[in-house]
Amino acid sequence: MIFNSLAFAIFFPIVFFLYWFVTNRSLKAQNILLLVVSYLFYSFWDWRFLFLLMFSTFLDYFTGLRMHDAKTINWKKFWFWLSIGVNLGFLGMFKYYNFFAESFADLLSNFGLHVEIWTLQIILPVGISFYTFHGLSYVVDIYKDRIKPERNFVDYAVFVSFFPLLVAGPIERATHLLPQIQKARVFDYTKAIDGMRQILWGLFKKVVVADGCAEWANMIFNDADAYSGSTLFMGAIFFTFQIYCDFSGYSDIALGTARLFGIELLRNFAFPYFSRDIAEFWRRWHISLSTWFRDYLYIPLGGSKGGTWMKIRNTFIIFIVSGFWHGANWTFIIWGALNAVYFLPLMLTNLNRNNLEIVAQGKWFPSIREVFGMVITFIMAVFGWIFFRAQDVDHAWKFITGIFTKDLWKAPNLPELADLTIFFILFMLVIEWLGRESKYALEHINRVRFAPARWVFYMALIVCIIVLSGKEQEFIYFQF
Amino acid sequence: MKKFLIRFALFCVVFFVVDKAFILVRNKSPELEVDKRLEMVVTGKINADVLVFGSSRGARSVIAQQFIDSLGISAYNLSFPGSDITFHEFVLEQVLKTPGNKRPKTAILVVDDGDELKPSKSLKFRLDRMYPLVKYKAIRDKLVERKEKKPVINELLVIHQLNKSNFLFKQRKFTKNDSIMPCGSMPIGHQKKTFDKIYGQKPYLYSQQGEMTQKIRAFRSFVALCKKYQVQLIVAIPPNFRKVSTGFEQRMQQMLNGYGVVWKYDEQNPLYSNPDYFFDNAHLRTNGSRVYTAELVRYYAKHRP
Repeated sequence: MIFNSLAFAIFFPIVFFLYWFVTNRSLKAQNILLLVVSYLFYSFWDWRFLFLLMFSTFLDYFTGLRMHDAKTINWKKFWFWLSIGVNLGFLGMFKYYNFFAESFADLLSNFGLHVEIWTLQIILPVGISFYTFHGLSYVVDIYKDRIKPERNFVDYAVFVSFFPLLVAGPIERATHLLPQIQKARVFDYTKAIDGMRQILWGLFKKVVVADGCAEWANMIFNDADAYSGSTLFMGAIFFTFQIYCDFSGYSDIALGTARLFGIELLRNFAFPYFSRDIAEFWRRWHISLSTWFRDYLYIPLGGSKGGTWMKIRNTFIIFIVSGFWHGANWTFIIWGALNAVYFLPLMLTNLNRNNLEIVAQGKWFPSIREVFGMVITFIMAVFGWIFFRAQDVDHAWKFITGIFTKDLWKAPNLPELADLTIFFILFMLVIEWLGRESKYALEHINRVRFAPARWVFYMALIVCIIVLSGKEQEFIYFQF
Repeated sequence: MKKFLIRFALFCVVFFVVDKAFILVRNKSPELEVDKRLEMVVTGKINADVLVFGSSRGARSVIAQQFIDSLGISAYNLSFPGSDITFHEFVLEQVLKTPGNKRPKTAILVVDDGDELKPSKSLKFRLDRMYPLVKYKAIRDKLVERKEKKPVINELLVIHQLNKSNFLFKQRKFTKNDSIMPCGSMPIGHQKKTFDKIYGQKPYLYSQQGEMTQKIRAFRSFVALCKKYQVQLIVAIPPNFRKVSTGFEQRMQQMLNGYGVVWKYDEQNPLYSNPDYFFDNAHLRTNGSRVYTAELVRYYAKHRP
């Protein structure tokens, strides 16, 4: 089931009603309801993989308890590595096995050795990268004595499987989400309205901007040889907004949905395309994943505390692993490495924490210097996304070389309807710019005191969403 | 909670009322279209004994006016460039089922040699032709059937029936490549700049591998409709600027399953290997279309029902 589907439009009000009107007197009943509907939500995609999710949940729950109760450090280590091994084993098998097997065979063929490799003909269970990372952070936190294990299985299972975040995050931490699950929730009108508003903005970004951009990005990427340099560049721009609006749109819907159930999820995006340098971009893009890698990989590796080579090594590791997390393809690895290359000069010159505050805070317009920084960062991101979107490295390379032709300075050859998509991109950027000091773009729309004006604005967004919703388009991050 | 539910319900009611204003947009869209043929179909204004169906090859290669001039019968071309057999089947179905349309005596289906049953980048179900006409129920029902729109919401909300193209409030115009004659045909007088004029000597071997189930089903349904409504069916293969393919004709014969005939142009005619008669490798130019249609008219005169 996806958020922009009719099934979800039916599912959600039913769950909302049961949650606040039927099970509202008992926290236990509310949590059981959340667990059951979360499993139902997941099984709409493929019920067979529900057992994998259940097994992974039970494994982390059980090993968490065993670690805490272990009498010796060796037993603690045993349960810890068992959980890590099985979790990463599943992830490796479903997501990476074929990539490694095929890469190994390719490597051998370079030496004249031809081997028959055995590959798995299975689909990737949706959300596996997300719920595995939930479980891993929980197990590591217990092992490091940062938290105590959760003894109530239902509460723990809701933490892993809460349906708004189950398939594409944000990647939650036990320290943030579990206390909310254990505490009675009271309906709050202001929060509920806020949640609805965030859902609306998320749907607008997904259906109107991301799906609109997808049409042109797919057209251009799938037939790159047929287009001029400027059209290819526009294709990369369309994908840049597609990936942002698709994923941040999903996150907005997830956060808004959770808020309607009285639960606050971690923020995942903070207007990344207004970043003045690439370090700021990475503090604002997929925040829950970036901070996960920072806390569970970068810092344990030594972070930026060691010498120069240690810093370089750790930066490359974190960016390449982050790229590889997205999928088993060299394009993702190169995308990660490219971002490491972007990031390193800032880190080595200690400029990586230069832009911590919000751009042009308290002002209408940015300074020339800020505009320059934002444009350069945006263009760097655009070239990174070409690798992310391309089918393989060769495709990405041809696409980039295709951009740098004399046609780059000619008007792009785009269908008439692409103008409408460009209009919506600009509209989205204006709204996000005006709302950049908030948690999401529409958070402070209440400043518009005249309620009918707000309603007209909401209705205009809804009209755009409904008119532009064709066949249900999956979210890009479902594949990760 | 009470306040939340009341506000939400009120918002929905206001929205429902506002939605009805979009009927104006829906009704305006057909007026802006330049190609009125599909609208004629769904409003029951088709009145011809011979109807031509197909993609650009049908639209450009068969000049329906020649049937009228040579045989004194009524003929009309309902071929849409870029459309595939699923769209042709929809058009035929609407012709036969919409009250007011005259049941044709003959349907000429101009097929795309090689691509008729296979995936193709350039041939598809022409949704862009459908959305300007969503004021008509038959069009709305087809969009729901194709899962472009959701059934219940489609009935409830006018805006759900619309698409971004409905908001391009601009009168469409004929282009150099897409001018429609009163008989519905769209012959093209010039040549494509990129046409290499190199005659393809290598015969194309047709293989059934990769055929799409959806297209096979649509083709069979096209044949079944002709059979049910007693419409003579001629499957016409137009020339490409290359040697004829082998196997495709037999495949078409097989798909007809005993109803209708497959008719192919005279392969010995040297004009079909003369680049002056072609727009590009896959389409005839007006002079070529005249030759091809004349040949088709002669065949039809001998086999008319």
